[in-house]
Amino acid sequence: MARILKPDGDMLQGTLDMLVLQTLVLGPAHGHFIAHAIERRSDDILQVEHGSLYPALYRLEDRGWIASSWGASENNRKARYYRLTPAGRKRLAVETTRWERLVSGIGRILRPATE
Amino acid sequence: MSWLRFFRREERDAESVRDLQFYLDTETEDNIARGMSPEEARASAWRKLGNTSAIREEIYLMSTFAFVETIWKDLLYALRTMRKNPAFAATAILTLALGIGGNTVLFTVIRAVLLKPLEYGDPDRLVYLTLDNPKLNLKGKSFSLLRLDETRATVQSFSGVGAFLKNPESVTISGGGDPESLQQARVSANFLEVLGVQPLRGRGFLAEEDTPGGAPAAMISADFWRRRFGGDPQVVGTPVTLDSTPHTVIGVLPSGFAFPFAGVDVWVTKPSHWSGLPARFWSGSTPLNLYARLKPHVSLEQARAEMDVLQRQYARAHPERVDSKPGVSVLVTWLKEQVVANVGPMLWMLFGAVGFVLLIACANVASLLLARGSSRSREFALRSALGAARGRLIGQLLAESLALAAAGGILGVLLASWSLRAIPHIDALHLPRSGEIHLDLVVLGFTVALSIATGVLFGLFPSLQVSRPDLVDVLRESGTGAGRESSGRRGRLGFSLRSLLVVGQVALSLVLLIGAGLLMKSFVRLNSVDPGFHPTNVLTMKIALSPSRYDTDRKKAAFFGELARRAEAVPGVRSATIALSLPTTTSLNTNVGVEGQPPVEPVDQPIAQLQSITPGYFRTLGISLLRGREFHEADNSPGAPPVMIVNESFARRFWPNFPDGRNPVGQHVGEGLDKLKSAEIVGIVADVREAGLASAAGLEFYVPCVLHAPQVAYLAIRSEGDPLRFAGAIRSQVLAIDRDQSVADIKSMQDVLETTVGQRRLTMLLLAAFAGVAVLLALIGIYSVIAYQVAQRTHEVGIRRALGAESGDILRLVLGQGLMLALIGVAVGVLGAFALGRLVEGLLFQVKASDPGTFGVIAVLFLAVALLASLIPAQRAARIDPMSALRQ
Repeated sequence: MARILKPDGDMLQGTLDMLVLQTLVLGPAHGHFIAHAIERRSDDILQVEHGSLYPALYRLEDRGWIASSWGASENNRKARYYRLTPAGRKRLAVETTRWERLVSGIGRILRPATE
Repeated sequence: MSWLRFFRREERDAESVRDLQFYLDTETEDNIARGMSPEEARASAWRKLGNTSAIREEIYLMSTFAFVETIWKDLLYALRTMRKNPAFAATAILTLALGIGGNTVLFTVIRAVLLKPLEYGDPDRLVYLTLDNPKLNLKGKSFSLLRLDETRATVQSFSGVGAFLKNPESVTISGGGDPESLQQARVSANFLEVLGVQPLRGRGFLAEEDTPGGAPAAMISADFWRRRFGGDPQVVGTPVTLDSTPHTVIGVLPSGFAFPFAGVDVWVTKPSHWSGLPARFWSGSTPLNLYARLKPHVSLEQARAEMDVLQRQYARAHPERVDSKPGVSVLVTWLKEQVVANVGPMLWMLFGAVGFVLLIACANVASLLLARGSSRSREFALRSALGAARGRLIGQLLAESLALAAAGGILGVLLASWSLRAIPHIDALHLPRSGEIHLDLVVLGFTVALSIATGVLFGLFPSLQVSRPDLVDVLRESGTGAGRESSGRRGRLGFSLRSLLVVGQVALSLVLLIGAGLLMKSFVRLNSVDPGFHPTNVLTMKIALSPSRYDTDRKKAAFFGELARRAEAVPGVRSATIALSLPTTTSLNTNVGVEGQPPVEPVDQPIAQLQSITPGYFRTLGISLLRGREFHEADNSPGAPPVMIVNESFARRFWPNFPDGRNPVGQHVGEGLDKLKSAEIVGIVADVREAGLASAAGLEFYVPCVLHAPQVAYLAIRSEGDPLRFAGAIRSQVLAIDRDQSVADIKSMQDVLETTVGQRRLTMLLLAAFAGVAVLLALIGIYSVIAYQVAQRTHEVGIRRALGAESGDILRLVLGQGLMLALIGVAVGVLGAFALGRLVEGLLFQVKASDPGTFGVIAVLFLAVALLASLIPAQRAARIDPMSALRQ
């Protein structure tokens, strides 16, 4: 079931932030790469509207979780590269834990019989 | 969010454009590589990216202030919510506006009247002196001229003692324009010095102007100066005529100066010239009110102790004086307390009442928000699960309540500024310092703080509760789809919190209602008091004869006798009279003794009010004659044997068995004031409440005008129909006798009486209005809680019906719940009213603050309407069709 998540208010924000931070764990990347990486790595279940990624990137940068600089891309254009900061790494750990706890909680509720 | 980013937001916008451009270029290239045509590739890239201007805008907005943006969003959301439910929003805003507006008004008034220091030099050193005697009927508790002189000569505690005549006088001014009626105060020459006030123009009174024969000088108010003299800087030295006596304007007082009375436009000195009395009575009368300035380092207690000593010395030196009797003492209080003594309790009581109204309004809005909050709990649970911070949710809910409170506050300030403009013009309030009442920044600050506090108060409880959803509960509910049932713990909590709010509302409104009930009962009692005369269709006016042209008793008596005769001859006038005083105006008191009764020292003789009248007095005012006869014209002619008529209290005082026993008619009475030969009692009349409805009648005796010709007297006529229609005709009769004679204070007797009950009436009406609003809010509270509960329990009611409950059982079940809330609230309210009773005690008349009748009737009435309020939802519950309820 593919569903397009729109960055509507707070609903996606926490989740999308987490996905972006996770993508950057592997190393610096530009917006185009991050968008495609999230889509690909979720086996196309999460189809992020790519534009929605950009406000998230700027917001994460404002919070000091990622940093950016302009560099040359693989196709020889000027691209804005984002990388994870130490604060961002910590944040990712917190978000991941919280998410896992929530998922397991919901899982227990939705499938009480299997436990 | 840093300032730096705020100023760099344009640069950042350009960066985001390049960033997005890179995406489009790269995606297009990739698409071409996948085999799309260039056009197709670009279009597909655009589709994938989405609305770039929206993205740019979102990034741009991040660089504006984040919290502003958040609040803005929350506010917009709140406004959308309000628009979706305009009835709720309107009710809430209007309720809050009334509460906040009322509090703003009362705060402004209390601050200006009660809290701010008096606008005099070093006002905290000013004291007020009164004579106190619980046993004697010393009206006005004022001082004699002798006392002023002796106090000034001996007192050590004060650096200055000022005096003023206890009642303002109404005078007619002529010269420099049309004749005009004004309020005049008589003050001692040093009155400004003691207060520490400088005149705006000219000078204050000189000591020699305060002596018999001193040049007649007048000071005028700044308001009057502008109104009549156009603010002429040369006004000092202008001659004016006050009640036929020429005066010179010597100074202008500062704007807003209202001492010793509000609304005074002209001040003259020589307070000894109490214009109602011939010089030979000055020593015996007590027309002066005194105030003084404490010397530095002298405490109020020291001043009190000194005045006690001086009182004892005075009593020893002048045992014949009415103010020398045992039990008389001099009270020293702060001047400010005296200035506001009449309105302090009323204002605080009303402030308390509007405070209650606001609390009730908060409870109501909180209750409504709670009800709405429960239905939004799933929305909040979901948002919280997806990462919304709890603070953010609380913030949003608070923004909604603050938006309501702010709207209420703005409307409240508008209401307040409108009513504050009106308040100084409501004469019935008798509000001192009313010129100092205005909306200023302090008041606006108060209102802003109050609105915020209000918003937080009614918004925080619901938002804390709603934003702490039990995730498991809420999600389980959504899993089973049973959203309508109350959801476990939280649902019960929600209900009990709302019930608590309703109980609080009921209790508060009951307190207000009982307060209003007590005042209302007092008012009814007061109005059912027989004043001793019939005030309808009576016209009164004041006539002050010029002391220079009417310098003998004979001239005065002749003028007044002629005027009474002419007035009586005017068509439509049934009778007319001249009197030294009328009920609620000034009074002249003296000691009296009956000949043939065991003699007592003058100091132990009872005090009685002296009235000097022309023969038509009792007929004109409608005072019943109990025994004997009224005065004849013959009694009022020069040289006639002295006669007097006494009131019933007088008769009972000297002949305790009256109306049985020895007949007072035919007895002779001596009066101390005049040391006049004895006068024979020829009649006995009913008591008149001279000092207003709330004060009991004292001893009183009447003598014919000729025996005691007044300088200033009142004309009263009893007319057919509206008495004010005769004002012109009577005035022309006055002018026909003496074309230079002015009249003042033209009023119907009912208006004269109204001034004595107006403040009570207004206080009662205001409190009743507050109580009415409060009760309405409380009933809405009960109704909505019960209705909500019925809606929540539709399923349960269905089951009960299916199991055999009759609709009557359901009705009783729901009604019982409404009644229970009301009962608890009423019980708490009765206790509260009992505890707060002393706040209204001083405002009551012949009613106790714990009047069981009022408490009982109001409690029962309240329960009855509360029952009615829950009847509507109860009937709805009783009509629930079990089959459809269960199918839901």
